[in-house]
Formats: sequence, C-alpha cells, structure tokens
Amino acid sequence: MIYRLALVTLALAAVLGDQAGAEYRFPMPEFESGYERPQMEAPPPKLTSPVVDVALLAGLMALTAFAVLKLRSRNWVLTLMVVSLFYFGFYRKGCVCPVGATQNVFNILIGDGAPVPLLISIFFLLPLIFALYFGRVFCAAVCPLGAIQEACAVQPVQIPRTAENVLGMFAYAYLGLAMLGLYTGTGFLICRYDPFVGFFRLGGSFNMLMAGGVLLVIGIFIARPYCRFLCPYGVLLRWASIFSRRHASVTPAECIQCRLCETSCPYNAINLPTPAVQSEPRRAGARRLGWMLAAMPLVIAAAGLAGVLAHPLLSRLHPVILLAERIAAEQRGDFGDLTIESEAFHASQQSPAELYAQADAVRRRFRAASAAFGVFLGLAFWGRMVRLSVIRKSPDYEIDRGACLSCGRCFAYCPVEKPNDVAA
Amino acid sequence: MDSRDKIDRREFIRAAAVLAAGGGAWMAARPDAEGMVWQIDPAKCIQCGRCATNCVLNPSAVKCVHTYEICGYCDLCSGYLQPGAKARDTGAENELCPVGALKRKFIEEPFYEYTVDEERCFGCAKCVKGCGQFGNGSLHLQIKRDLCVNCNECSIARNCPSDAIRRVPARRGYLFKQWVSGEESEG
Amino acid sequence: MLRPEKKAKRFTAYDAGWWAAVGVATVSGLFSLSVATLLIVNYLQIQAINPLDNPEMLELRRQLAQAPEADERLVQEIRAMDLLARKAFFTSQRHLNMGAYLLLGGVVVMVIAWRIAARCSPKVPQPAELPPPEASYWLTRARARELLSFSGALWVLAALAAAYFTRLDYPVPEDRPAGEPPETTVVAERAYPDWETMQQNWPSFRGPGGYGVGIHTNTPVDWDLASGRNIRWTAEIPLPGTNSPVLWGNRLYVSGADAASREIYCFDTESGEMLWRRAAPPLAGTPAEAPKVLKETGYAAPTMAVQEDRAFAIFANGDLVCVDADGDVKWGRNLGVPDNHYGHSSSLLAFRNLLFVQYDQRSNGKLSALDIESGREVWTVPRATISWASPAYVQTAFGPQLVLVSSKDVRAYDPMIGRELWQVECLSGEVATGPAYANGMFYVASEYSDATAIRINRDGDTLVPEIVWQWYEALPDVASPLAVGNHLYIATSRGEIVCLDAETSEVAWFEEYDEGFYSSPIFMGDKIYAIDKQGSGYVFRPGDSYELLGEPKLGQETVATPAFTDGRIYIRTKEQLVCVENPHDSGN
Repeated sequence: MIYRLALVTLALAAVLGDQAGAEYRFPMPEFESGYERPQMEAPPPKLTSPVVDVALLAGLMALTAFAVLKLRSRNWVLTLMVVSLFYFGFYRKGCVCPVGATQNVFNILIGDGAPVPLLISIFFLLPLIFALYFGRVFCAAVCPLGAIQEACAVQPVQIPRTAENVLGMFAYAYLGLAMLGLYTGTGFLICRYDPFVGFFRLGGSFNMLMAGGVLLVIGIFIARPYCRFLCPYGVLLRWASIFSRRHASVTPAECIQCRLCETSCPYNAINLPTPAVQSEPRRAGARRLGWMLAAMPLVIAAAGLAGVLAHPLLSRLHPVILLAERIAAEQRGDFGDLTIESEAFHASQQSPAELYAQADAVRRRFRAASAAFGVFLGLAFWGRMVRLSVIRKSPDYEIDRGACLSCGRCFAYCPVEKPNDVAA
Repeated sequence: MDSRDKIDRREFIRAAAVLAAGGGAWMAARPDAEGMVWQIDPAKCIQCGRCATNCVLNPSAVKCVHTYEICGYCDLCSGYLQPGAKARDTGAENELCPVGALKRKFIEEPFYEYTVDEERCFGCAKCVKGCGQFGNGSLHLQIKRDLCVNCNECSIARNCPSDAIRRVPARRGYLFKQWVSGEESEG
Repeated sequence: MLRPEKKAKRFTAYDAGWWAAVGVATVSGLFSLSVATLLIVNYLQIQAINPLDNPEMLELRRQLAQAPEADERLVQEIRAMDLLARKAFFTSQRHLNMGAYLLLGGVVVMVIAWRIAARCSPKVPQPAELPPPEASYWLTRARARELLSFSGALWVLAALAAAYFTRLDYPVPEDRPAGEPPETTVVAERAYPDWETMQQNWPSFRGPGGYGVGIHTNTPVDWDLASGRNIRWTAEIPLPGTNSPVLWGNRLYVSGADAASREIYCFDTESGEMLWRRAAPPLAGTPAEAPKVLKETGYAAPTMAVQEDRAFAIFANGDLVCVDADGDVKWGRNLGVPDNHYGHSSSLLAFRNLLFVQYDQRSNGKLSALDIESGREVWTVPRATISWASPAYVQTAFGPQLVLVSSKDVRAYDPMIGRELWQVECLSGEVATGPAYANGMFYVASEYSDATAIRINRDGDTLVPEIVWQWYEALPDVASPLAVGNHLYIATSRGEIVCLDAETSEVAWFEEYDEGFYSSPIFMGDKIYAIDKQGSGYVFRPGDSYELLGEPKLGQETVATPAFTDGRIYIRTKEQLVCVENPHDSGN
C-alpha cells in the first residue's frame, strides 16, 4: 500500500511537472517589419533612506526632551509635533513607526522569526531608551499617531480617574492580542487595525477611516484616546518611563500646593497629594493588600482558564480556521455560494483532511497563546489593583511617570518660577 | 544615604535594561536582513480580483504588466477581447478591460501589440485571467514599487485567497514572468 | 499659554480674535462635515453599484454573446452604457481623491482656528472652587478598585460567553501520539473493495468496470411481469429517471428528478422495500432553475455509482452528491451547470478511492477524478467534445485504463493521474454509446459514424492504438455495443441485433425485431440479455449462431439497463422497479 502511495505521489509530481513545463499555446512571432518588443518597466521604489528616518526619530526625540525638560515649553513641543506629523505622518505615510515595529521585533522572539533589519529594531528601541532617560518624549511629539490626536485635542476635559484606570486595561489587552497574533501566525494586528494610517495616506478602507474619525472626534474632548486606552507600544513605554532618569515635572522647583495644576492634565497624569488622614484603619488597608497578594495564583489561574475558554473565538482571527469551517460547512451541504477562498482551496492540491489537520494545529497554538494572553491580562489587572491598594506617601502634586505623555500642558499652570530665574 | 542607594539602584536597572534591549536587538536583527517588499507571484495568482479593491491605496498599487517576450501577439487575444466577441476591434462591446486600459496596436499581419495603460489600470485581473486561460499568460499582475507604500502588513496579501503575495528583497522588487525556453519562471 | 483673565469692559482685540477664530472654525467645520458626508455617500454608492460590474451591462453583454451575430442596437447600447460606467468610475475616483484633500484642508483650518479660539478664551483654573483634595482621594481609589474588579469580572464573563457561543465547526482530526508526522495520517489507509468483490455487486452502469460484462451464470432467462411469473417484487420510484439501478450488497440505488427536485432512493434487494429517499441538498452553484433538457433524457439520466457504503448521484443541473448507506449526505458539489442541449447523461464510475465524472459539454468539458471520501478533485483534464456516453474502467494487459468516448474520439486515461494514454479520432455525430472491450481490443459504435475496433499495442513507453477494422451497416444510437469472446454485439434503435466477428467485422448473424433497443445488452456468465423499448427481452447464447434461450416480457417501456447479481435481475421500467428471480432460487 505504501508502495502504491509512493507511486501515486511520483505520478502526481510528474503531472505537476508537466504543467509547469507547459509549452506556450501560441508561438512567439518573429517580426519582419523590424518591430522590437518594448522593454518592461520596473520602476524602483521611491527611496527614503532608513538612516534618515532613524536620525530624524532620534533628533526629534532629543529636541522634545530638551523642550520638555529644559525649555519647559509646550509651544516647542507643539512645533516638533507638527514637524513629526508632517514627516512621519503625511510624508512617510505613517508607515515607519515604532508602534508597528514592536511586532517585527517580537516576531523574531515568538513569531515566525522573519529577519528584521537592524534599523527597524533601532526604531523600536530608541523610544524605549529615551523613555528610560527622559520619559515618554516619543509620545509627546514624535509619534505620528499621537501627533494627529494631540492636534485634534482642542477642548480636552478630564475623565474620572476611576474610568481612566479601567479603560487603560484595554491597552494591555491589545498588546496581548498583538503578541497572540504573532505567535499564532495570524498577522500584524496592530498594523491591521491602525486607525489613523488611512488619514496619512489620504485614503483607506471605509471602516478604518470611520474608526479613526470617531477616535479623533472623541479625542477633541477626551484627548488621545488611542494613546491612553489602546496603544500597545504605550504599555511598554509606560513601564520604561516609570524608571525614567529625568522626567518632566509640573513645577520647576518646590510644589507650593496651590492646586492650579490640578485640572490642567487631560490625561489624569498628575497624582494628587496623599491626604494626611486615611479613610480607614491602617490595618484594614494592609489586610486588603495581603489578600490581594495572596490571590495572585488564583487570579493567574482564573485568567489563564478564561483565556483557554475564549480560544475558539480568538482562533477565528486566523484565516485557516475560517477556511476550515467554511469547507466543512460546504462539505456538509449547508452551502451558500462558494467564496473566493473556498474556490481557491478546491482548486488547490490540498485535501479537506489536510486542511482540518492544519486548522487544528493552528487552534492548538491558539489555545496555548490564549492561556498566556489570559495570564498576562490577569497579571495586568492584578498589578493595577495592587497599585491602587498600596499607599505611597507624597505630599505634593507629582507627575505619574507612567501615564505622563510629556505634553507640557501643566508647565504654564505652575506659578513657581524656575530657580535660575529667581536667582536672576 | 538611603535615597542615594535608591538612585544608584535605578541607574543600574536602567543601564541594564538599555544594555539588554540594545544587545538583544543587535543579536536578533540580522545584519544581512535587507529591506523586503511585497510582490505578487504570478504562478500562484488566481486572478480573483481582490487586488483591485483590497489595497490600502486607491487606485490599487497593483497593475497589470506585460511580458512581451511571451506574448503571441495574437489577433484573437483572449486577454483583450470579451469571450464570444463578435468582432476583433476596439469596440467597447468587444473589449474585456472594463476601463479600456489595455491598448491594441497593429504591428504587422497578423500580429497585434497589447500594452497596458497604467494610468487607467486598477488591477482587476480580468485580462490576466483571459490571457492565462486561452493565451500564453504574458499579462500578469505586479505590485508597482513606485506606488506601493510597503505596509508592514500588506492588506492584499492578507486577503489573497491563494497566498500569492510574499516579500521579496527590495533590490529585486518584482516577480515578473520571464521567457525561459518551454518554461515559465519568476524573474 | 495661560493668559490672565481680563475683565474687559470694551471690545478688545482678544474678543475680535476669538470671534474671528470661532467663525472660521465653524465655517471650516461645516465645510469638512459636508465634504465628509459627500465622501461617505460616494463610497456607499460605489458599494451599492460598482459602475464597472453593472448588472444591466453584464446582461447586455450576455445577450450579445448569445446572439448569433452582432446586433447593432445592442452594440450601441453597450457602448453607451460602457462610456457612462467608465465616466462614473473615474469621476468617483477623482472625487475621492479631491475630497480627501478638501477634507484634510478643511479639518486643518478648523483645528487651527479652534486652537486660536481656545487661546483667546483660556480656561482659567479656579482652585478655590475645587473640592478639597482630601475629600475624594480615598473614595476615588476605592471606586477604582471596585470598577477594576468589576471590569475584570466582565472580561472573564466575556470569555465564558465566547466559550459557550463559539463552536469551531470542522471535523477535528483524532488525537495522535506526538511525534507521528501528520502526513502519514492524512492519507488514511483504507481497504478498497477488490475486483472480485466489485464483480459480485453491480456498482455502476453496465456493471463492474462499465463495459457490460458480469460473472453470474444463474440469472433467470424467463419472466413475465403481467402474470407475475418469476417476479420477486416490484416497487414504485417516486420521481422519473432514465438511469439504471446499481447495487452493493442488499442495497439497490436509483435516482429520480424533475425540474424542481432531485432525489436518491435506496431499496432493499430482498423485499423491494424503499429503505430511504434523500432529496439532494442545494449546493454552492446549484442554479435556481434546472437547465433545459430533452424530455427523453430527463433530469436524472446518469446512472449512479456505488462502492460499499458510499453512493454517488449526479443530476442534470450538475449537482453531484455523495450519500452513505443510510442516506446521509457526505458531500456534494455542483460541477457547473452543464452546457448540454439534450441534458447531461454520462454515468458515474467509482473505482478504489476515485469517482470518475465524465463531464463532456459543448464548452469547458472535463473529466474529473474526485476523492470518494471528500469530493475533492484529485485530477481533472479538459475534454474538448461533447458526448452523452459513459466511461469504462478496464484492466488491460498494459494496466488499468479509463476509456471515454466523445462525439469525435475515443481516449484512454491513466485512472490514477489522468494522463492521456492514447486516442483515436473515429467518431462523429452525437455519441451516447460507451465503449466495449474484450481480449485487448476496444470497440466503439454509434449512429453516423463507423463501428471501430481498436487494438492497443505498446511501443516502448507509449501505447499505440491501431484501427483493426471499421464497419457501418447497422449502428446503435443509445445502447452501447458489447464485446464477448470473439464477437461484438450491437443492438440498434431500429430493432436490429447484429453479431460481428471481433477480429474481422464479418457478420456472424443478424436478427431484426419490431422494437428498438435503448437498454444496453449485457453479458452474464454464459448468456446475453437485450431488452427492447417495450420491455421484451431476448436472452441468447454468445456465439456464431443466434440461439435464443428465452423471451421474457415486462410489457412496460424500458430504456434503462438492468442490474444483475447472483440469481437475480433488477430492471427499471418507465413505471416500476422490478426484481426477477429464478423460481428454484426463491426457496432459499
């Protein structure tokens, strides 16, 4: 039997080989009139040197850091933002950006391992390194996605801090989903659902433009909704920025508790001073924190389980799963018309059994990845809960280094003069 | 003293993180990995027509190109004429291309040259299908490098039912059909 | 920048700036809004009707393609509409591009103006009016914790809902021990029935292999439907069909169809009881209306094929359905509505893992081999000429051959891969008769072409057909020729039965009856059966002279070819399904 199979395979290969080597149906003419065949045009890409991109990225971030930390000038930040919006946005069409490069870099680690040019990984790393030293200056003025939202944020209002905490979790979910997409070979979800790139290209799919438009209109009042509540790269920048060496501060010197800056930050990134009086006995708070720490394994287990439970739904992100379901339905006889995909499948050499096996392999990957995704999200929730339960005493209005986008709005609200001004 | 230690520790964490990230990137990034661009493999293309509508650009960066070396210069061109066309002329009722982007020019008896007007072509692949079914397959789709914005995730590649779109090195750029005696191969 | 509030008593430059900015912002905002609306409307219009795939235009083009010659009015109409469509397409493209720039410009102006307006009336912090920070500090944190736990619970709930409502709906391959490569498991090892088993059954039109030869010698030679002599049972078939019965084990299958519905029937061979009937499900590509067929052909002309627990039926609209022994549909696919002016009538043939479908049409004809388990195409080759004939699978000295007749030629294919082995152009007219085979020679015969004997020789790796003789005096129209031993038998639509010497085409004998033959003659072990259109049978010995063994009668119009098994014959008449049996066998 195996011998026979081998024979069939050989014979099939022969047939395929025959097809590939098919003669052209019509002979290629030889012209008597001296006609010469035109050359095919192969216009090269419009070149933008990646070195220019990286240099501009680094330069703009350095300037922003200088504007935020030294000049303390929102106008400078806005100006740099316009430059970046023009270059990385409308000129480079939004398509060299560290947000997307995150996927290329993580794809080496957990995805199909496609090699990544060094400049792309530099693109991914530079904003993080800058965040480690100067805070999220990339977000402030260099990121084109942030810039287009910042430009539209003309009447920002503060949303309740409670809501800020809950909505912020979506960014973790998005980051997790993006990693899940890489691990399962689904694709680059961050790029796929980039809401603003359509504006930079002045055209795109209807849904993408509508989503982007809605976000921008919301962003007039709730500033930078994508950055705060969705941006997966923002999660990484947040972690880096927490450890930043020098970070923008509301006041250039001592906080005088004037409360002028309290409503100035539309991102809820100014921590209020811790009141001297606590609302509950110290022991109650400590006990709660203790419970929370003890609950970590439980949270991880529950979240991982939830991820496993949700994996069939998530696996529908993958085209192979959708095709397998489609073909199975067709084979059962619940037929509509053939889709282009199923037609292409029927025309291919693959058998449904092979497809189902492939789909099942993909599904298994999804099961593992969904579990990890669930654990990641559970940990994110748990971490946020712990953070909301730990009391960090700070008598002053201080910047939340993770959440602050270094936009510079608060600088003007602080009546305290710069120390050297005082000296002068 | 205490705060001093804290600062030192932070400094250390930062430096370690930067070193680790930078070193990791250096190791992970392959210096030989050159820029890659998306391109259509004509051998896999099934002319479904999605290239016309799924590209992020409008009109699509995908255009029909013509390998003249393979073309039979037929009078009865199945890439140019509607199936069952009553006459072999440029009448709209006989033309297959919905926007008249394929041009027909008499060369010498009995040969006609067909050229693609890229200003009009929007990559619907109707002519490609016709040419492949009954002709030599000299017409095929390619992503024009001068138009393509080379997205990180190519929208038509994702929607391609036959996985015909893949990345090729930027300096190669195209996967033209080429004439090789008795065999079609990528260029 | 924050500016101190001015308690202006008079109209200041700031106020003027504010008013101007607000005005500009409003105007540009309204402008952007209307451009955006127009763009959306443009988009929706293009979505609703793409001018380039305008159905009216497609209809006109279809009409033109069908018209025998160019109709000037139609041509003008198409040109006018084409011009409009192209204009609409390019105009809408231009509008989209222009609109995008206008919108961008409008939004930029609006944003700048709005920003200027905001600067002219800065929001001044009023710390005195704020509640003391201590008041809500702890409460906010507590609320945040609550809301966070609540939203976390919602995420988990969403996961539960996803698990509950999502069922991945494709057959999941069985778990296998790790390390085993999936390739070996995909091609499932399966024992297919051998040739002897197939010969015990009647798996296809004209028996195993489809060339009219069976092995049993104990089939009855005498019966009479009117008096019930030797009739074991009769059964009604709900829908009409000219296809012949096939059977495997004790299950007999026929199909029936009219313009509206298509059905498969399964009968118990012992009792004649209908075990089930199955309506063919609508498939992808099933046309809303059945194609036009000749009344004599009907909607269920092709005979089914059966192999063990899989039965296959194809209908006039191109629907091919596989059912199991219980009538559950295992797979189905529409092969495209056949372009066939009489109606598709080529029967199916199953062998080992493949189901062969001869799909000869006026254009785009093909021969496909489908995987019997899945319906997946294993190979397909194009067929140039239309026919109504059925394929034969023959084990020759040079290996198995799948032999097909078209209205122009005979072609043999390698059944495994579809490679063409040989071909002879020797036919013309409209051919519905299949090939005959005996002793290394193939025979074809059809009205308006010659009966041809073809011997296959081998030359190196290639098979070379050789025309041994051609003969044209009495030719069949519907009934396929039959080759047995040294003779070729032809039953014609005019009522002739001719016996030719297989090697020389010399006429051995010649009989003439009143009624023509549509049912194909079949050789069973030691005798030949031929049934004419009125249901009168002629059973005779093969040989140099005509020796009639029996003249059984059905008295009903009969065009289908019977199915023969051990001691029994199953005949589909126009009205009934009849099971005939020898009297001395009925005691068992």
